[in-house]
Amino acid sequence: MNDSATHTLEAGDVHQKFRTIAGREILFDKQGFLWHPEDWSEEVAVALALESGIEALSNDQWRVIRFLRDYFAYHGRAPLNRDLKSGLNISLMDLESLFPGGIRHGARRIAGLPNPRACTG
Amino acid sequence: MKKVVMKINGKLHQFVVEPDRVLLDLLREDMLLTGAKQSCDRKGQCGACTVIVNGQAVRSCLQKVANLDGAEVITIEGLGTPENPHLIQEAYVLSGAVQCGFCTPGMIMATKALLDRNPNPNVEEIKKALEHNLCRCTGYIKIIEAVQLAARFIRGETTPGAVRPDPNGPKIGVSHPRPSAMLKACGVAPFSADIKLQDALELAVVRSTEHHANIVSIDTSKAEKMPGVVGVITANHIKGTNRIVIIFPDEPILCKDKVQCLGDPIAIVAAQTKQQAIAAAEAVKVTYEPLPVLRSPQEAMAEGAIQIHKEWPNLCFVQPQIKGDAEKAIAESAAVVEASFTTQINHQAPLEPEATVAYMEGEGEDAQLVVVGRSIQIHGVMTNLQEALGYENIRYEEAYSGGQFGIKAAITTEGISAAAALHLQRPVRYIPSIAESMLLTNKRHPFDMKVKLAADENGKLTAFTIDYIVDNGAYQIIGIYVIMRAMWMLSGSYNIPNVNAMGKLVYTNNPAGGAARGAGPPQVTFALESAMDMLAEKIGMDPLRFRKINSLLPGQSVSTGMVYEQWPFPELCDAIQAKYDSAKKEAATLKSGPIKRGVGIATHAFGIGGPGDAGRVAVELDPDDGITIYAAVADPGEGNDSMLTQIASHLTGIPMDKVRLMTRDTDHTAEMGPAAASRMTYMAGGSLVLAIEQLKKAMEEAGVKTYEGLTKAGKPIHYVGSKKAAGQEGPLDPVTGQGPSFESRVHNIQMAEVDVNTDTGEVQVIKMTTAVDAGTVINPQNLEGQLQGGMDQGVGYALREEYVHGKTRDWVTFKFPTMKTSFPTDIIIRETPRVKGPLGATGIGEMTMVSTAPAIINAIYDACGVRIFDLPATPEKIKAALAAKK
Repeated sequence: MNDSATHTLEAGDVHQKFRTIAGREILFDKQGFLWHPEDWSEEVAVALALESGIEALSNDQWRVIRFLRDYFAYHGRAPLNRDLKSGLNISLMDLESLFPGGIRHGARRIAGLPNPRACTG
Repeated sequence: MKKVVMKINGKLHQFVVEPDRVLLDLLREDMLLTGAKQSCDRKGQCGACTVIVNGQAVRSCLQKVANLDGAEVITIEGLGTPENPHLIQEAYVLSGAVQCGFCTPGMIMATKALLDRNPNPNVEEIKKALEHNLCRCTGYIKIIEAVQLAARFIRGETTPGAVRPDPNGPKIGVSHPRPSAMLKACGVAPFSADIKLQDALELAVVRSTEHHANIVSIDTSKAEKMPGVVGVITANHIKGTNRIVIIFPDEPILCKDKVQCLGDPIAIVAAQTKQQAIAAAEAVKVTYEPLPVLRSPQEAMAEGAIQIHKEWPNLCFVQPQIKGDAEKAIAESAAVVEASFTTQINHQAPLEPEATVAYMEGEGEDAQLVVVGRSIQIHGVMTNLQEALGYENIRYEEAYSGGQFGIKAAITTEGISAAAALHLQRPVRYIPSIAESMLLTNKRHPFDMKVKLAADENGKLTAFTIDYIVDNGAYQIIGIYVIMRAMWMLSGSYNIPNVNAMGKLVYTNNPAGGAARGAGPPQVTFALESAMDMLAEKIGMDPLRFRKINSLLPGQSVSTGMVYEQWPFPELCDAIQAKYDSAKKEAATLKSGPIKRGVGIATHAFGIGGPGDAGRVAVELDPDDGITIYAAVADPGEGNDSMLTQIASHLTGIPMDKVRLMTRDTDHTAEMGPAAASRMTYMAGGSLVLAIEQLKKAMEEAGVKTYEGLTKAGKPIHYVGSKKAAGQEGPLDPVTGQGPSFESRVHNIQMAEVDVNTDTGEVQVIKMTTAVDAGTVINPQNLEGQLQGGMDQGVGYALREEYVHGKTRDWVTFKFPTMKTSFPTDIIIRETPRVKGPLGATGIGEMTMVSTAPAIINAIYDACGVRIFDLPATPEKIKAALAAKK
């Protein structure tokens, strides 16, 4: 073998893994995004938030999460920051600081939106 | 300089030009007539730039303007408009001859010149007249039919109105013209290089001259001072991750410390003109420290081989598959065949070069970076660029794109254009040559396969083993998916109770493998279907009968263990039987001389609706009671616009001209995933059906039939449908490879009839017959176009095409299919409605590509008794095999 032997060899599907969250077995991708947005629930959000260091989601955080989910449900895509800004009337700086990992890797993940980089087919 | 006066499309124009100015550039750049396309680097190889000069069809890239004083030029724009098209344009649209549309204006102009002098040409005369015009989509069949139809129009034998399907008639199963076809036929559909951008800078890219090396230094100082240069951009200027991520984040937009492949991008030069940008790019001095070059998976897996990416081993992915006990079954079988097969690196060969433009819209912190390009997955590219460039406010717009075939699932020139526009805050155009486009794009993965196939005394398959090693090239792109796709569809059409397989993916310094029509199944199916013929011969059974008796049956499982309830393959065997018998009978009479006729078949059951796949489509009822579909359903030529329009009109009763498509930009569309894996009809069509069902339910509940009624009832006008394919429960087991496969299958038998010249080794395809069951047919012309184009690409893959990195630089060295290599086709369609398909449909884009190559190889064996195990089956290989046989 080459010097790669010191590294972990990938096998199986590198995108998907099951995790038990809020008492349910749920399929995630390897970046920690829900595979199916429909698996989301408020309990799942609370559990994911806890994992990212948020002990209790604040009203402002819930407002962002609900906006994300509503936007996604209506448009079938995630909002850009400008949509969040105008929809929530919160500055981007405040939005980013609301979630560890910011909007993209924090809020979106907790809100159960799919990883936009997911490759299907 | 020389003064030239020409009449262009009926109007006199005066130019003063340099001696080397060619007509194509004058038309596109000075006249802004972009119907004539540039593909072959002005070598006269493709005919996409064909116009008429003094009554003759000419390739405008070869015409020096200085020699055209007094000439009369007609371009596609001078022929007709979408509102008032020429009869030839009508004929192309009505014949289904317009797929991606990049070659179409040139084809139409060559047709015009032909019909002006000969209004009743035969097929050979048509082929001769269009011999310089290349098409990758159609296999030329529908183009020939379009010329014949145009001739009938011109001779007054029929009219477009008599041929055009009634738009108020049935919507499903009818070849209504594609919504986009006339724009393409009139040369007004904007491809990326046609986008007008005021004051745009032109880009050139400094690319690696090494296959594998550390970058010691990049000296841009000289280039920065050259005329016209506005900026030189290196990785240091990119503020994001500088990484493209489809599966692994292994591919930089610009290499910083190391290059992994010849042609890797290192720096971008932006200048006022393209010539200035290219000259300055050549002045950028890159100092390399060469590293060992790993040219094959075997070298990359060897003891002590250098690791190409520090984060991932060269052997970067494995997937076994174990069903039953294959070794035991083989030991107990009556007949076993064993062989090794290889397939080549190949280029998907879209005719259009990889082009993208980008600009900033708005100012300050609200400015949006707009990228217009060739992607078939606009949301995926947008989100990739957001992270790679560290800039969130991005909009991606899909231009019309000139062919796809998988290549546009990857991210190429978008990163370059977007990085430059963002850094310089200026509009930019990156329009690389076709040679550079070949250098920078992903390719079809080459496979190295070892196979055993066994059957019992009754001819029933007992076991299949296959080890396949896949050369991933320098970057991951979708390599893991190619391994998985091969596994998901490994057992093809058959019930094989025992399977043992191992797929391995290995980084090398070769060009990165990527999506390519079929992506995995074409390679392993070549091996399986070759082995099927070998085994049929060994047990003395007719190849078609052998395949039929081994068909999977409803209730049985494929190699992943997934059970299928629909498997209409035996019926296809019956459907092709008479033509097969006839072809075999005729071939038997053509064996005596040096040219010998052979008949070969191959089959596949191609997966549609991948495990865990999900689609999303939004619909909205419009105030005029039309409907708008919002979904990123790219259409690089397959006819997805037809699919959406015809399904929506069929289900709602809304006239097709009031079905509006909003599919091309990320600001207005639902994320729908890539237009790849033959998935759009099934997944987007399926999502559309679900969205429309919600709309109709709301209208029924409100008891209304109009927008006004719905809004007055307080009901929403906007609905999102999301089709989910089987396999949502999770991935294949990493140890056994057991688990979900595709929700649906499209079934196919390919029959090749070939003549082999045993003196020269040359193979002529006499005819390809395809029997296909793709479920409900929405648009027969679109279906046939995919079948014919797939067969043409399959024949090229089997016999001619091979990409050699750094050496294959144009369409001649690629051995692009031409009118001369085209062949007749016969199509047998069965329509078994798929239980979970939209209106019973499934997908078709890749199917015939998969089984054509083994059908050809089996036909060559039938003709002359030699079997080719390594694609392509060139005359040299066949001659050598014949000599060895003697």
